Amino acid sequence: VHIDLREFRAAYLAEADEHLASANARLVEIDAAIRSGRQAPRDVRDLLRGLHTIKGLSAMVGVEPIVTLTHRMENALRGGLTVASMEPLFAAMRAIEVRLSALAKDEPVAEPPAALLAALAALEGESPAPAEVLELDPAIGEKLGASEREQIAHGVRDGRRLVRVDFAPTPARASSGLGINVVRERLERIGEIVKVVPVSGGPGLVFAILVLTSADDDAIASSVGIDASDIHPLSTTTPPPAPPSGDMASLLDDRDPNDDAPADVSRAVIRVEVARIDDAIEKLSGLVVTRSRLEREIEALAATGVVVRELDAIAAENGRQLKDLRASLLRLRMIPIASMFERLPFVVRGLAKTTHKDVALELDGGAAELDKTVAERIFPAILHLLRNAVDHGIEDPAERAREGKPERGTIRIACVARSNRDVEIVLSDDGRGVDAAAVARRAGVPTPTDSSGLLDLLCRPGFSTRLEADTTSGRGMGMDIVKRVVESLGGELFLDTTPGRGTVFRMSLPLSIAIVDAFSVRAGDDRFLVPVPTVDAIIDLTETPIVKGPGFDMIARHGTTVPVFDLRAALGLAPTGRTAAQALVVRRRRSDAVAFAVDRVVGQEETVVRPLADALVRSPGIAGSTDLGDGRATLVLDLVGLASRSMRAA
Amino acid sequence: MSDAAIVPAAKTDVTTAETRVLHVVFRVDGADYALPADVVLQMESYTGATPVPGAKPFVAGIMQLRGRVVPVVDLRLRFGRPAAPLSADTRVVVGEAGGRAVALVADSAREVVRIAPSELAAPPQLVGDGTGSFVRAVAQHAGRTILILDFETLIGDEHG
Repeated sequence: VHIDLREFRAAYLAEADEHLASANARLVEIDAAIRSGRQAPRDVRDLLRGLHTIKGLSAMVGVEPIVTLTHRMENALRGGLTVASMEPLFAAMRAIEVRLSALAKDEPVAEPPAALLAALAALEGESPAPAEVLELDPAIGEKLGASEREQIAHGVRDGRRLVRVDFAPTPARASSGLGINVVRERLERIGEIVKVVPVSGGPGLVFAILVLTSADDDAIASSVGIDASDIHPLSTTTPPPAPPSGDMASLLDDRDPNDDAPADVSRAVIRVEVARIDDAIEKLSGLVVTRSRLEREIEALAATGVVVRELDAIAAENGRQLKDLRASLLRLRMIPIASMFERLPFVVRGLAKTTHKDVALELDGGAAELDKTVAERIFPAILHLLRNAVDHGIEDPAERAREGKPERGTIRIACVARSNRDVEIVLSDDGRGVDAAAVARRAGVPTPTDSSGLLDLLCRPGFSTRLEADTTSGRGMGMDIVKRVVESLGGELFLDTTPGRGTVFRMSLPLSIAIVDAFSVRAGDDRFLVPVPTVDAIIDLTETPIVKGPGFDMIARHGTTVPVFDLRAALGLAPTGRTAAQALVVRRRRSDAVAFAVDRVVGQEETVVRPLADALVRSPGIAGSTDLGDGRATLVLDLVGLASRSMRAA
Repeated sequence: MSDAAIVPAAKTDVTTAETRVLHVVFRVDGADYALPADVVLQMESYTGATPVPGAKPFVAGIMQLRGRVVPVVDLRLRFGRPAAPLSADTRVVVGEAGGRAVALVADSAREVVRIAPSELAAPPQLVGDGTGSFVRAVAQHAGRTILILDFETLIGDEHG
């Protein structure tokens, strides 16, 4: 059977990327620990786990260069770490990143550079004795790959035992909740699973699970919930012949039963494409429509004198359930902010290196979550602020020393859920602060009297590019973009800066927002957005010309006549005299279709709609407003409402 | 929209014998108007709003201000005066009351003054279209007549 691996590529890339991001974060932690003379066993273990996953995924889709790189990294990490180990490991991480992005672009994936592989190999400890200590059932032994044999050898050398745990699934065990996945989970807590091999034994299927562990048989049996007789030691506990980094090896296995929470959680997590969730939300709107039809029918029934009390109660209950369901579905789109931060230490490390600064990044993502779309849109803005903080905020070590500050600058990114609707992301640095007078001189305006005025100056479009030549006077380029992104999400940006002491940027963001897929249409000089779900069809008026009737205009469609209104006229705007090229046919639930003629449909946008709540501007036919990125408000039309109004007026 | 100035939070000047109240002064069709600083959120230069079909006739449209979408009331139209083209001096004074933020378009706005209670008088009883109810008081301040506006009446829709 030939399987086209391309199909899996998108999913592979997404998953590998995610593991790579957290692997990067772990490596940065390890780097920091090693440099301050500590070991970071938990991070090493997490990194190993992440690399192992990437390796497995890559092997599955046949990306051998990444398999090789991750494999060598794993070996290097097991070899014990020193400051000198870090450069090759970071280089390998970048090499993986480069290859993943090549794959994403459908470009050939280069073999890893030989020099890098050699550098990684040099980090490996003494090659362990071949895995002859193992007394493996040939049926299992032949299923072990080279890397698994190596993993076993390393484990045994580090002083752990290799055991085979036999687990036979039975209905009785299943009913008490003991399935293979539960067994795996429990084993992961007390050891490292090398391989799970299904073998046919006795009456039915048996899973032979090879585990490297420091726990004894009884401990394994009791923590997994199986008999000790199902545990077969495959290696003896000969003390390791002085591993290169003794504490490293033992620390690797120093598992606090409580500290594996992330691993347990990850087992209960599935990966879902956002499009599938959105599809479910879309289907839900269908249900909501059905429900309103049901309510109308109940009303009609009641009007004939039928007692509908029970039906009413059911419909009300149904309404509550739909509301809950909607809330649950929207919650599916939320991602932990902490996960968004994972890549940042890597970014800061790179920036600090190129700018020759010493910067520590403190992250506090808390437990707050953010809608995925909000997170994706805000992330580049956070990167921007972070870059600026390293580039322009934090002084170089010598200058900091002169100022009497610690040579290492600190940037802190914290996230606070302010309410159940808003979240605040705070990015602060202990750098030189923004020199308001210098910024004002640059802009040729009086010095702002407060930080809000200063922020406005910094956010003037194009302003900060002029600052590039004079990085000491303020922030780098792109502040206008940062501000626009934050505001386009319905958030606010605040600045608080103290010369010599540092700068704080605060972004308040809505936790979730209404994202609408909308057509962008031009009518005269105005641009409007029309939500896609309300449009039934777009008709080309050059092919289906408008028939001018005595009362109103019409077009023929599917053998029926559809009234058509000029969009500008329907909105009460001055006509432009231009000929409309296209018409949008509006889907109406209970009435006939209506069409609106526009100059042209120019595109389709995913947009954040903010309702116009104020009585001064509330209007049927207007669903709300949005920012298309130009900083101005663009109207989102409710063509269904406009259709009803136009029909009444006609 | 960039030369914003947030009005200082301090509303009163305790150094004088009487309590002077900080006001933001702006010009509309040759007359000086003012709002108490504590209802003013910000002042911004103004380059036009997005018109909203079907909105009140004195509403110029909506504009985005620091992440909020606010209605824009053209004070000339609100006061029944002729419309004027936008200029470099045109400003919006953004006020907030009862959770509603509304931007008011003025011909210019660049002053903040402290008005003493003794300078204030009740507005003359006016006959006519009722737009006089926007004026809460009249101040004679440093030789000028300044009409103190009632923001909430201004953004109400009774006179639309």
